[in-house]
Amino acid sequence: MPALIEIENVSKIYATTDDKTTWALQDVSVEIHRGEFICAIGPSGCGKTTLLNIIGGFIQPTEGSARRNGAPIVKPGPDRGVVFQEYALFSWLTSRENIEFAMRLKGVPKKERRIHSDKYLDMIGLKHAADRFPGELSGGMRQRVAVARALINEPEILLMDEPFAAVDAMTRATLQEELLKLWEALKISVLFITHNIEEAVFLSSRIIVMSPHPGRIKEIVTVDLPYPRDRGSPEFGALYAHVNKAFHA
Amino acid sequence: MPEHDRPIKAAAEKAGRKDAAHWEAQEQKFLQDLQANKRREILKQLSFNILGILLFLAAWEATPHVIPWMNILLFPPPSDVIGTLKELIASGELADGILISLQRTFSGFLIATVLGIVAGLLTGRIRLLQYLSDPILHGMRSIPAIALIPLSLLWFGIGEASKVALIAWGAFFPIWLNTFTGVRDVTPVVIRSAASLGALPHQTMFFVILPASLPFILVGLRQGLGIALIVLVAAELAGASSGVGFMIATSHQLFRVDIMFIGIATLGFMGYVIDRLFALAQTYLFPWYTGAK
Repeated sequence: MPALIEIENVSKIYATTDDKTTWALQDVSVEIHRGEFICAIGPSGCGKTTLLNIIGGFIQPTEGSARRNGAPIVKPGPDRGVVFQEYALFSWLTSRENIEFAMRLKGVPKKERRIHSDKYLDMIGLKHAADRFPGELSGGMRQRVAVARALINEPEILLMDEPFAAVDAMTRATLQEELLKLWEALKISVLFITHNIEEAVFLSSRIIVMSPHPGRIKEIVTVDLPYPRDRGSPEFGALYAHVNKAFHA
Repeated sequence: MPEHDRPIKAAAEKAGRKDAAHWEAQEQKFLQDLQANKRREILKQLSFNILGILLFLAAWEATPHVIPWMNILLFPPPSDVIGTLKELIASGELADGILISLQRTFSGFLIATVLGIVAGLLTGRIRLLQYLSDPILHGMRSIPAIALIPLSLLWFGIGEASKVALIAWGAFFPIWLNTFTGVRDVTPVVIRSAASLGALPHQTMFFVILPASLPFILVGLRQGLGIALIVLVAAELAGASSGVGFMIATSHQLFRVDIMFIGIATLGFMGYVIDRLFALAQTYLFPWYTGAK
C-alpha cells in the first residue's frame, strides 16, 4: 500500500517580479503516512507553502510527481482539508453556515446539516458563536471555525498553512493543544506549515526543515517525545536546539 | 475567614475601601447619565435638523421681499409654492408624475442590474472575455448618456422604451465596472477554500465569487441609481408626455416657476429617499457586510 501522500523529485519554478526565475522547490521528495503530524518549517522563500499548494492540488509541479494513495494529484478535493492563515472564511456566512458549506454544495438537507454542524461546533467549543459572522469573531475563533469547516468532509489529511500565525501567543498555545486533541481523536494526517520552531516541536511527529533559494529539504527530524508535550522539559529544549541549528545552519 | 486573608482585609479597611453597594450605586448613576446624554444628543440633532429646514424656508420667503429687483414670478416664496403643491397633490398630478418617473427609473435600473452583474462576473472571471470586451465597453462608457437621447428617440420613439433604454444604458456601466473590480479582486484563498471543500465551478461562482464581491456590487448599484435619476430627468426634459421631468419642462413653457420648484424639489426628495432606502435594504439584507466592517 503506498503512503498517503508521496512527493517524488518535485520542482517548481516561478517568475519573480523582475522577470527572473526562482526555484520555489527543487528536487524535493517526502512521504506523509496515515496518522502522521508533519510540520514543514523554514524561512520565507523555502517553498513550504508551494509544497502545501501542490499537495492541495492548487498548483502543478514543474517536474516530478505528487500522488495521493498512488494516484496523481490534479486538483483540489474534499479528501484534503485546507486551513489558510486568515481571511479564508466566507465573511457572508455565519460560523455555522461556513461549517455547513461543503454539505450545502452536496445538497444535504438542512436538518441533517444542522446535526453535523452542531457536532463540529461542539468539537471546537463554539456553539455559542454559531450565528455570528466571521467579522464578529476573534482571530482564534475564526481559525477554529476554519478547522471545523475543513474537517466536516472527514478528509484523510488536513493541510494547514501557518494557521495560527495571526493570533496572539496565548491563544496560539491553546489552539495548538486543541488541534492535537482533534488530531488524536480523528486519527487523520496533518501537514502544518509554520516558521515557528517551538510550534513545530510541540506539534509534530516529524519536522521537515527546509532552506530557501532554491527550496530544498535540509533535514527531516523525527520527534519521538510523547504527547502531550511539556514545553519546559529538557528533552523539548534539546529538540528545539536541534531544529534551531538545522534551521539556521 | 482563612488566616492568610486577614492582613489584606485589614489593609483594605485601613485604606478606606468602599463596599459593594457603593460601586453598584456608582454604576447605576453612570448608566443613567449615559442614557440621558444619548437622549439629549438625539433631541438636539432632531431639533437642529428642523431648525435648519425652517431657516432655509424663512430665508427663501424673505429673499424676494428683501431684494427689491427680484421678480416674485421668477422666485416665488414658499407661501406661494405651498398652495400650488396642494393643488398638484389634490389633482393627483404630482403622484402620477412621481409614479411614472419611478417606473421608468426602476425598469431601466433593473435591466442595468442584471446585465451589469452578469457582464461583471464574466469579464472579471474569464480573462479572454475581458480582453475581448475592454476596448468596446470602456469606449462606450466614456459616452455621456445624454448624448444618446436623440438616437434613442429615433430608435425607440417618444414612449417608455426610449427612457428605459437610456436609463439602463447609463446605469449599466458603474454596475458592470464595480462588479468587475469586485470579482477580479476576490481573495484567492477564499476561492481555494471553496475548491478544496468540493465546490464545482458554477457553485464557486454563485456561492463564493458573487457574495464575496457584493460590497463592490452594492457600490456599483448605488452609483447606478444616481445616474439613473440623472438620465431619467434628461430624457423626460428632452421628450416625454409625463413624469417629473416633463412637469418641469411644461412649467417652463407655462412660465410657472412655482411648479418648476416643486418638480425640482421632488427630484431631490426622490433621490434622497431612494438612497436612504437603498442603505436601509443593504444593512437589512447583508448584515455580515456591516458586521465585517
